[in-house]
Amino acid sequence: MDKNSHLETVIRTHQITKEKELLNKHIQKKNEVKNALEDEYGSNVYAPFNSGSYEKNTAINTKFDFDLVSPFRRNAFGSGGTLKEMYEAVYDFLFHKYKNVAEVRKQKVSIGLEFYTDSDGDKIKIDVVPGRELNQDQYKDDENLNLFVYYKYGNIDAGSERIKTNVQSQINNIKERANKEKDSIRKIIRLLKVWKNTKGNYPTKSFFLELITIKAFDKGNITGNLWDKLKAVLEYIRDNITNSDFTLKDPGNSSNDLADTLTDSEKDQLANDMKNMLDRIKENDENLKTYFPENPKFKEEDKNRYKTNGSIPMPPPKLNFG
Amino acid sequence: MNDRVTKINTLIESIPDVKLLKPFVQGKFDIEGCISVFVEGLEEGLNFDVSIDPQYPFKSHDTETIKFYNEDLLAYRHIMGNGSICIHTAHSPVLSDKLCFDIESVKAWIRKYYINKDSDTHYEHLIVTNKAFKGNHFAFFFNEVEYSFSKNQFGFVDYSPLSNGIFYKDKIRSNILQVFYDRNRKTLSDVKWNIQLKFLHRSNGVFIFLKDTPSNNQRWAFEKWSELETFLPQEFLEFLHLVEEKSQKGKEKFLPLFIGYNITEAEIHWQVIMLEIGNFPIYGEKVNKQWLTMIDGNRTIDWAITRNCSYKYFFGRGRLNEQLTNSKILIIGIGAIGSIVAKTLVRSGCTKVDFIDYDIKEPENVCRSEYSFYTGISNKTNDLINEMCLISPFFEVAYGGFDYSEAFNFFLKTHLTDMNIKSEIEKHLNEYDVIFDCSADSDLLYLLTQLNINSTLLNFSISNHAKQFVCAAEQNRYEFITTQFNGGVLKFDTDDLYNPTGCWNPTFKASYNDINTLVQYALKHINLRFINDKALRNFVIETDDTDCLTINLKEF
Repeated sequence: MDKNSHLETVIRTHQITKEKELLNKHIQKKNEVKNALEDEYGSNVYAPFNSGSYEKNTAINTKFDFDLVSPFRRNAFGSGGTLKEMYEAVYDFLFHKYKNVAEVRKQKVSIGLEFYTDSDGDKIKIDVVPGRELNQDQYKDDENLNLFVYYKYGNIDAGSERIKTNVQSQINNIKERANKEKDSIRKIIRLLKVWKNTKGNYPTKSFFLELITIKAFDKGNITGNLWDKLKAVLEYIRDNITNSDFTLKDPGNSSNDLADTLTDSEKDQLANDMKNMLDRIKENDENLKTYFPENPKFKEEDKNRYKTNGSIPMPPPKLNFG
Repeated sequence: MNDRVTKINTLIESIPDVKLLKPFVQGKFDIEGCISVFVEGLEEGLNFDVSIDPQYPFKSHDTETIKFYNEDLLAYRHIMGNGSICIHTAHSPVLSDKLCFDIESVKAWIRKYYINKDSDTHYEHLIVTNKAFKGNHFAFFFNEVEYSFSKNQFGFVDYSPLSNGIFYKDKIRSNILQVFYDRNRKTLSDVKWNIQLKFLHRSNGVFIFLKDTPSNNQRWAFEKWSELETFLPQEFLEFLHLVEEKSQKGKEKFLPLFIGYNITEAEIHWQVIMLEIGNFPIYGEKVNKQWLTMIDGNRTIDWAITRNCSYKYFFGRGRLNEQLTNSKILIIGIGAIGSIVAKTLVRSGCTKVDFIDYDIKEPENVCRSEYSFYTGISNKTNDLINEMCLISPFFEVAYGGFDYSEAFNFFLKTHLTDMNIKSEIEKHLNEYDVIFDCSADSDLLYLLTQLNINSTLLNFSISNHAKQFVCAAEQNRYEFITTQFNGGVLKFDTDDLYNPTGCWNPTFKASYNDINTLVQYALKHINLRFINDKALRNFVIETDDTDCLTINLKEF
């Protein structure tokens, strides 16, 4: 099995452009929510913007990460208003606005809007991230925001107001690094997202995978073909994530450590998953397909399906039993 | 004096702190003597009559073949009614070693129960002399009920005969308690059992809740009715008299009397006394111009056997992790793997287990699944429900019949593009905490990946000759299974399959032992993941039988 060729196919079948209609639906819905926030909060909110993977060119077409950052003014919820009050107020607004058409959920730092399945069977999900500038009118100068942690987020306790970040810097950092590495980083990030999707509800955030991939490239001599590079990143995660001195600096605020967004047992699980993956692929290349499957919706035809002599292939026999 | 007796006397005399008060002599069967055993904390040694069986130093079944008697110690813990102390001692085939171990155990008993008057953390049930009643032994199983009985509350019960068996050399009839009623036959509390048990034919009995233990020294259940006299109020005796009068018109020849008492503040235990209809141990006597019901105190109490079969005792010796036992479970496909999974779960404390299978059980299925030959040809679902009801009194089945299986298959495979039906199916499946797909149905495997299910979904399948067992536990289950079996990852014999007579698909070759070994290994791994609160991953169990059997679990 040619591992590189398979990985390239995986990336191709997960290209976001292959799901134009679905992408447009996400963009349209994101704009609707953006307009609703602007209508509701007027001059108290700066222009909400998308900070998800689409914006960073690291998106895949099986899961659209549409994170709508809403930067509020310092006094938007009163001069003494707390971050918790900001979070609750935005949740209340979104809940009342969308309760009949979507599941509205409180999440770790965002509010999830999962719109009910439409007539095409598609589900649109937009996460709204409320943030507040550090001082009145400062956002336009420094783009810094404070976020509220609603649920325990790795080692960061619920109710914490200590996440200060610059989302725009985060986006730019990943975009720039990805461009510099001539797509290598972007491809690996996409592959890691494909892998993450096979796990269902995995605790590691996509942003974490983006940053750790960049860090792996910074720290190690990552060269060779696509599989070599992917393998090197997987090994880096396996060997480093559980080290007590391992940190993952937030490009939006160097005093934020993204390693704190995972608990120790979540880090153990991530390291273990990397180890299992590397071991199983080493045992048999074919196992790569389990971890990095093609998007079946855009699976490419097997050109050798019909043999050169034109005979019809034998259907595969049943080999698993219950 | 024979050599064995001489040896015992010599050995006893050589053991420190033990005095030979009466040398051992050979009795008709046993060797008997009297010793004194001293331990620090006693003013003087305690005396014991000792009898040694011919089997000594070996046990007779589970019973020690040396007995140490002292009837003066009856008030202490771990003493049998005949005054022999209960000792737990070590094995040795060498008489001298065994004798030393046993004397050490006696010393340990003296320290623990005589000097320190220790009480054990677990409750020690009353010692009840069970005798056959009218040629039969009787056993009654009860379950805890959500009802608070008050002292001396009495009324009726329903119980159901369960089955007849052999108890050593006698017959025994086992029964289950079904309902408590007050004296006016108003239901106080239903006793929860599985649906089959609840449908059994019912007979009548009576109960009284004494609150206090009907025993001497909290150890031995009363033997004579005179001992119960002060416990039973006149009102209850009159009730008993009326019940006997009415019962004489019926077919039953006996009536069980359930006697309840607290063994802890929150827990009630029930003993049963068998009463012969027409021969209750009561009589009428005129006292001060008033007829009273009196107890015939000389009569012996005929105790039956009772067992508390509530969940915590029934599964007390071992069960799976609570995350599994508390789960609502669905098993799709109950062939070899599915039926073994079902039986393991139900035996291990799971109570809510539903089944889906369209297939019919044939005699040739019996050899490697959990079905019985006796029930002949039957829907697998119905047959397995019966089997599970026979195992666990707590097995609850909500769905699982043939119609349910057909409907599931039809709706899932024909209506997946209908968003409303798809959503209904998802809603239905999401009611389950854990779904085991043991169907090895690739269509179903694919369709389940198309659904938005929050339940833990585990797909089990096996290769020919049970060479490998594959469990898919993650979102990518379709790719995983396909890659493992059809992608050439797993190596196994694909030719030597079993062809049943007729136009059927060939099936795999493997015995019950082959399959069950791997299913249990897989379930143990899954249970461990639940215990450690770790995420479940796809895994493969591989066997290598080129020399000694090795089993290797690989997590993905």
